[in-house]
Formats: sequence, C-alpha cells, structure tokens
Amino acid sequence: MIVAERVTDAARGFIQRVRISTSAWLYPVGAAILLIALPFVFRLDGHAHAEWLQFFGRFHPVLLHLPIGLIVLLPVLEIAGAKRPALREAADLVLRAALALAMPTLALGYMLAYGAGDTGTTVTRHMWGANVLCIGLILCVFVRPAWAAGRQRLAYPTLLTVTLLTLTWTSHQGGSITHGSGYLTHYMPSGLRPIFGADSAESVSPDSFYARHIHPVLDAKCVSCHGASMVKGNLRLDTYDHLMRGGQDGAVVMPGKPENSMLLARVTLPSGDKHFMPAEGRTPLTSDEINWIRAWIRAGATPTAISVPGVRVIEDHPEPPPQPVGDYSQLLPEIRAMQNGVGAKLVPVSANPSDGLILRTADVASSFGDAQLAAFQKFAPYIVEAELARTAITDGGFDTLQKFTHLRALHLEGTSITGIGLAKLNALTQLTYINLSGTKVNAQSVTALKAMPHLRHVYLFNTAAQSDESSAKDLQ
Amino acid sequence: MKQHPLCSDCEPELDITQLPIPAGLKREWSAVETRRRFLGRSGKVLGWAALASLFGEAALRGHGADAKNPALATRNNLGLPHFAPKAKRAIYLFMSGGPPQMDLLDYKPNLASQFNKDIPNSVRGNQQLTGMTAGQSRFPIAPSHWGFKQYGQTGTWVSDLLPYTARMIDDLTIVKSVNTDAINHEPAIMFINTGNMNPGKPCLGSWLAYGLGSMNDNLPTFVVLQTKTNPKENNQPVSSRLWSSGFLSSEYAGVGLRSGGDPVLYLADPDGVDREVRRKMLDAVEQINRQTLADVGDPETNARIAQYEMAFRMQSSVPELTDLSKEPQSTWDLYGPEARVPGTFAYNCLLARRMAERNVRFVQVYKRGWDVHGDLVGTLPILCQETDRPCYALVTDLKRRGLLDDTLVIWAGEFGRTVYSQGGLSADNYGRDHHPRCFTTWMVGGGVKPGITYGETDDYSYNVVKDPVHVRNFNATILACLGIDHNRLTYDFQGLDQRLTGPAPAYVVKGLLA
Repeated sequence: MIVAERVTDAARGFIQRVRISTSAWLYPVGAAILLIALPFVFRLDGHAHAEWLQFFGRFHPVLLHLPIGLIVLLPVLEIAGAKRPALREAADLVLRAALALAMPTLALGYMLAYGAGDTGTTVTRHMWGANVLCIGLILCVFVRPAWAAGRQRLAYPTLLTVTLLTLTWTSHQGGSITHGSGYLTHYMPSGLRPIFGADSAESVSPDSFYARHIHPVLDAKCVSCHGASMVKGNLRLDTYDHLMRGGQDGAVVMPGKPENSMLLARVTLPSGDKHFMPAEGRTPLTSDEINWIRAWIRAGATPTAISVPGVRVIEDHPEPPPQPVGDYSQLLPEIRAMQNGVGAKLVPVSANPSDGLILRTADVASSFGDAQLAAFQKFAPYIVEAELARTAITDGGFDTLQKFTHLRALHLEGTSITGIGLAKLNALTQLTYINLSGTKVNAQSVTALKAMPHLRHVYLFNTAAQSDESSAKDLQ
Repeated sequence: MKQHPLCSDCEPELDITQLPIPAGLKREWSAVETRRRFLGRSGKVLGWAALASLFGEAALRGHGADAKNPALATRNNLGLPHFAPKAKRAIYLFMSGGPPQMDLLDYKPNLASQFNKDIPNSVRGNQQLTGMTAGQSRFPIAPSHWGFKQYGQTGTWVSDLLPYTARMIDDLTIVKSVNTDAINHEPAIMFINTGNMNPGKPCLGSWLAYGLGSMNDNLPTFVVLQTKTNPKENNQPVSSRLWSSGFLSSEYAGVGLRSGGDPVLYLADPDGVDREVRRKMLDAVEQINRQTLADVGDPETNARIAQYEMAFRMQSSVPELTDLSKEPQSTWDLYGPEARVPGTFAYNCLLARRMAERNVRFVQVYKRGWDVHGDLVGTLPILCQETDRPCYALVTDLKRRGLLDDTLVIWAGEFGRTVYSQGGLSADNYGRDHHPRCFTTWMVGGGVKPGITYGETDDYSYNVVKDPVHVRNFNATILACLGIDHNRLTYDFQGLDQRLTGPAPAYVVKGLLA
C-alpha cells in the first residue's frame, strides 16, 4: 500500500511539474494504446493481403531514414543548446518533425509486413521496436516543455536516451530483415569473432553435398526473407528441417522429383515473373547453383550424401608454380655442341631461359644408359623434364637423378627399372609427374612415392604395381 | 655469276642480301649458305649430325645469343615456344563433312515438340543457305531421332549414339559455339586447317612443324592418317592441300601414311638391295643435290635432301611404328577388334597413340563421311559406331599411359548442320544441310580445362547465344596450348606477316584453358 501511495504521489507531483492538464494526457496515452493495440487488431498471420498495401508499404524503406536523421540530430541540438539557446528552440521543432515523420513511417512499415505476409522474430521485434520508439517520441514531445523551462530535470533526458537506444536496436532489426542477420559480421576478421560471439551457421553433416553446396546457396540468396529472422510465405530455408517442411503452400522440395519441386520452379521462372525468386530484384541464383539444387533433389535431397550424380564441382588444387632455374649461360656452348651432335639433347622449354631445359633422348634411347645420364650432372639443376622413356636406364640412374633439383617431370616408361632407389627422388621437391608405365616396379617398390611432397601424377600402367583400371593416381 | 676471263665488264657479285626479296627468303638463303659451308667441311658423307639439323632441332644458331636469349634449339631462330607449353604434341581427329551437332552433343530438348514445324524466321534470319536447300519451300524442324541422357559428374547430356564418349565426358572440354565463315566443304575445311578459304596457306600441322620442330629425328614431325572410306557414307574428298606447307618449305608438309597395304609406298628396299647399297646411293644423290643447291640456291633442294634422309630413317622406324604384334591384350580390349584392320579409324587412333609415345609432334587423323544430307538416321549410327569407341580408346589409352598430360587431343569437323531437314522429313528419317553458324567440337588433354562446356546455342542450335568461338580463335587457342602466341608465329610472304589466324584479330579463348 505504502509503495502504491508513494507511486501515485510521485506521479501527481510529476504531472503538476510538467503542467499538462489531465485531459491533455489523453493524447499521448491514447496514441500509445492505439499503437500497442495495432498488432493485435491486424495480426501478422503470414498471409499476403491486398496488393495496394504492398504498393504503399514499399515506400517504408524510402521514408524511414528521414525520422532517423532527425532523431539522431536531437541530442546534438540539446547538448549544443546549453551554450547556444537558439539551438534548443530548433530542437523543439526537430522533435515534432521527427514524430510527424515517424508515424507515417510506422504505418507504411506495417502495411509492408501485413501486405506481404511477413512473419518471423526479427519482423516482430522490428515492429515492437518501432511502436516503442513512436510512443517514446510522443512522450518526449509532451515532457520537453517542462524540461526546457527547467521544472523537470530528468524525465525528458531519460525518455530521449531510451528513445535513442530503441532507435538503434530497431534500425538494426530492420537492417537484418533487408540484408540478413549475418550482414555485419560476414567479413568480420576471425580474431574478433569470439569477442562478438558471431559464429558460423550450424550444418547437417559438414562434408555432405547439402552442407557444402546447397546450404550456402540458400543462405546467401534466400535466407534474408526465409530465415529465422524473417519468414515470408511461412517458409524457412535456413535449416535442412525447415527446408523439407515447406511453407504455407506445402512442401517446396520433392525428393527425387526436381520437376515437381516448387523451390526449383520458383528460381527458374523467367526473371520478370512476379513469382520469381529471389524476389524484389535480389541477386538471382546462377545456373551452376540451380544445377546443384536440381541434381541434389534428383538424388533424393538427402542431408548426408557426400556427392550427387550429375554434379562435379571442380575443386581447384593448383599445381605449385614452377621455380625458375638458374642462369646457365656459361654452359651454352656445350649445350649447343650437344644439339648438333648425335645423342641426347637439351632443349629449352620455351624462349624464356628460366623455364629450364628438357633432356630429350628419343633418338638414342636404346644406347642411353646410366653412364650417359651421369654425363648430364653438370646440367642437372637446369633440367626440369627428363624424357628417359625406353632408355637403358636402370635403378642405378637414381643416384644421378636425385641431383636434378628442379626436375618436375620424369619419364621412365618402358625402362628396366625395378623401383629400388625410388626413395632417392625424395630430394626432388619440384617433382609433380612420374611415369613408370611398363617398368618392373611393383606395389612394394612404389611405396616410396607416397612420401614425395608434390607428386600428383603417377603412372603405373602395365606394371605389377598397377592397382586399378586407371593407372593415374592422384596422391593428394 | 662467274666472270668470263676476257670480259672486262665487271659485273658485281650478286649479293642476295641486297636484293628486294622477302626477308624470309633471305633468312632461308643465309641458312643455306651456312649449311653449305658446314656440309662442305664435313666431307663427302653427309653425317647424321648434319641431317639432324634439318629435321631434328636445328643447328643454325648463335645470332646474338646471350643469357637472356639462349637461341637454343629454336628452329630458324624463331624463339619458340614463346612460353612454357602445357602440351608438347597434338592429335587432331578431323571429322570431315560436318557432324550434326544436335544429334551428338548439343542437346535441344525443346525440338521434340516442334517436329515438322517451320523454323521461325526470327531464328533463321536472312543468312545465306547452300544451293541444296535454298530452293526448299519449307524449312521443317527435324528433332534428333535419338534420345539423350546425362552422364558423369558434370551431368553433360550426350546422345545415345555415343555411349563411349559419354564415359569420358567429365574429361572433355566441349565447345558448342564454334562458328566459321564458309558454308561449303572445300573452303570450310581449308579455313579450319589453314586459316584461309583459298588453298596455298600452311596448315596448322605445318606451322607447328616449322615453329616447334621435331622431337624425334626418326619419324616425320607431322603425320596425316587417312581413314578408309565407307561406301555407305557420303564421302567428301580430302586432299593433300589440307596438309600442305603452303609457302613454308615443303619439309614441313604433313607426311601421309597410307590407309592400306604398306603405310609408306616404296619404303621397303627391293630384293637385292641392302642398307649399305641404299646408303651409298643416297650419298651419291646427296652430292648431286648439293651441287644443284650450290648452283641454283633453291631452298626446296634442301627439303629434298632432308626428305631422302628421312625416308632412309623411316625404313627402320615406320615398320617398328606399325608393328602392332607387341601390343598387350589390354590394347585390343580397349580399341576393339577393328583396330587390327589397317585403315580403320580405330587402327589410326591406335597408331596416333603409338606416334604420341614416339614424340611425333602432330598427328592428324581424317575420318570422312559425316556429310549427312539425307538418310541421316541410316548413316549416323554407322559413323558413330566407327568413331565413338576409338575416340574413347585413344583418350583413355593416352590417359592411362601418362601421355594425356602433355598431349592435346582435338575433335572437330569443318562446320555443323542445320536443324531443319533437307529434303523430305518423315517420322523416322531426315537429312541435314551445312551450317556454319554454330557447331560443336571437343578437346581434351594438355592445356585445356576438363569437364566444362563452353558456349551456348539457341533452342534450335542455329545461332550462338553465348561465348562464340570463331574458328580463328579456336586455332589461336590450340596454338596457346602448345606454347605459341599466334600473333608472333609469322612468316613474311607476299608482303604480309602471314600467320595461321590470318590478318584479322584473333584471340585465345581463355575460358578453355586450364
């Protein structure tokens, strides 16, 4: 009782100090009640209503920046007005103008949400935030004269602060509706993420095709209107469960039947169609993305399948860039003499000397053995490819080959090597290609290849080491 | 010019470098001069080494060589390859006659509902038609007689006619938007091979032989394989004009291996002639030729010398090349039994693989018969049956042997075919006329991006609607895979820096490159 009496006493005192007649209070209180009642009268039921509502409603984003600008101007004027009283007078006008603009903005926003049938937590928050904001502005208008006259020190500053905080929060909710909730944190440096608690979206099973290719597409292109924060057409696409549940018109994904799946139908309409998705001129899906979705639905729309037939997303594993070889101009006379002689040749890869040399033995293969190879040691650092196919090279040749520090491709097909000593090639950090087709290597002797850093193309056709139909094995 | 001892009229020595003749010819001449001195010093026997200079990596270098420009092993000091090549060699499967793209790889599902309807004028436009169909009163749409299915991870649509091609579809780089300037066989096939509709220009293979040279002294740099014709098909002629070296020295022309009997005629020595006798005879001819060269100075004499020597070496290398007795069973499993019959497309594909193994720079396999003006439903299955499996076998074989990494395989015809039927369209048969505005080719191997389809045609496979690839740009792209900047591989002739892609600007299609 005592508390209640105190509260009523305080209220009476406050009302006397503000000096507004009791009947005048009907305006702000009545407006507030109307605003609070509005959502209960016109419930956001997730159904679209009259199109004229949406026509007007779409001017909401146009208008809303005007009241925001004026409201943000208020504290500046009030604080600066301590020194320059003229600004205080301006503040009164700005406050009233802000209210005059905030009310139609709220009305248009409501038409937009109600007309388009938007629902969702963010939409609801945005709506209530706007309600509170408008009520705050109305109260500010009524309380400010007393504060300006110095009779009431706290009410107006408190109300204005609350109004500004409400404005910030409401605007952020509105932004999340338009741009998606992750818009601000999308490019946040990873170091900051834990501090702000911005985490990445959870997924079904992280290596599934859905998680790698379908969810990211929906997340980027659809979830801003069909997510947890905003639900148009009662359809959410932010999780696998919601996607499969569908929306107000039923399921949007029919596993195995892409042609009957509304999700696909809506994104493949002609872009002028009013049912085309993503709506309102947002970025459409690319043909690749549509193909992934189609193939995924055809394959049963599972959350677990790792790959689906009909889609290959080329994962780029670029080859390591070749390292330029050193300057071999000192050796040019010898190399030239070799070109004109009979026997193995050193041929430049291209007109650019740093691309290195190819050791070419095709013309003398049968007589080219380990001894001949050893004669090329002085050129070893400049040779990037050794064509030793069908030569007389044996396992002893690996002693020389391990000195070919820039070797990228090694052809030994059709030689009599058995693979003993292959491990010596570990020293060749540039080696990406080795061809051992038709040699005497076996599964045991080629195990050494697994340890080699850059090896990507290994050919074991027609050998005992050949494991399957295709002899090329990607070791990566 | 020798001066008569009694003649006081001092005629100056003819200086070739002062004459108003093309620089290319002067270069050729100075090469001859150098070579002549070199050969002169080497005595009577023209050694292997000297000849290697003609066919192997050339011996004539040293002009202004320094560390920056080693001038090594680049024929004629051309400084090629311009940049590190992805592919060292190429195999060109040429489908002469113009394969119908909408019956093979350019799937047009919307056509089925338009059977026998007239092609809309908005699609056909007012472009030139051939005399074969220009007189038709109607241009009824002929949907493909065959079904299409999706294959591979890429989900590419492939006609039921190509079950083997479908198996390797994820490796292929398919270009659906190639277009050409000519609507008839001879100009179009000339154009895609030489960059010019008129004969007389060097073909792609000759440019490669001239620019990149040989990688194997015992086999020609550029080999042409013709497939035996099938009388059931409509065979358009192909002639040596297509593998001519044009204004380049004739040693860069394609060497044709015959499709039946001996691959090279008169290569084997007759009875009673052994290698020793043959060598002596060649040496004698050599001397006569060099005398002629000294007197006349015609570079073609050089080519003749080189070809004699090449023939001598081919006496041993060609029988080894064409001896398939050592091929493992897995080869026959892959290529099928037809590959045992010389002259079939399968046999030629197998030979092309053997040449790739032996480092032949460029092999072109011609398959005629794609000119399906009528009875398409009857002849197209035969054509596909002849070519589908060998194409797959060749690519797979190169792949498993580790040769596809640095070999570029190209499959192309000279143009495409019309969506409308030529002659009568019935429920189960139709014909197709020539169509230069769009056709489909594919490539695979060194330098190109696997598993992509580049370019798109409209719903009628009539016009290109996305990423057109003109034949000149297609050729520029092939050269780029082999490390050649098409703008810089030129030859001064008739006052023009001639090049394969012609004087009009041409571009490398970056979207096709790996």
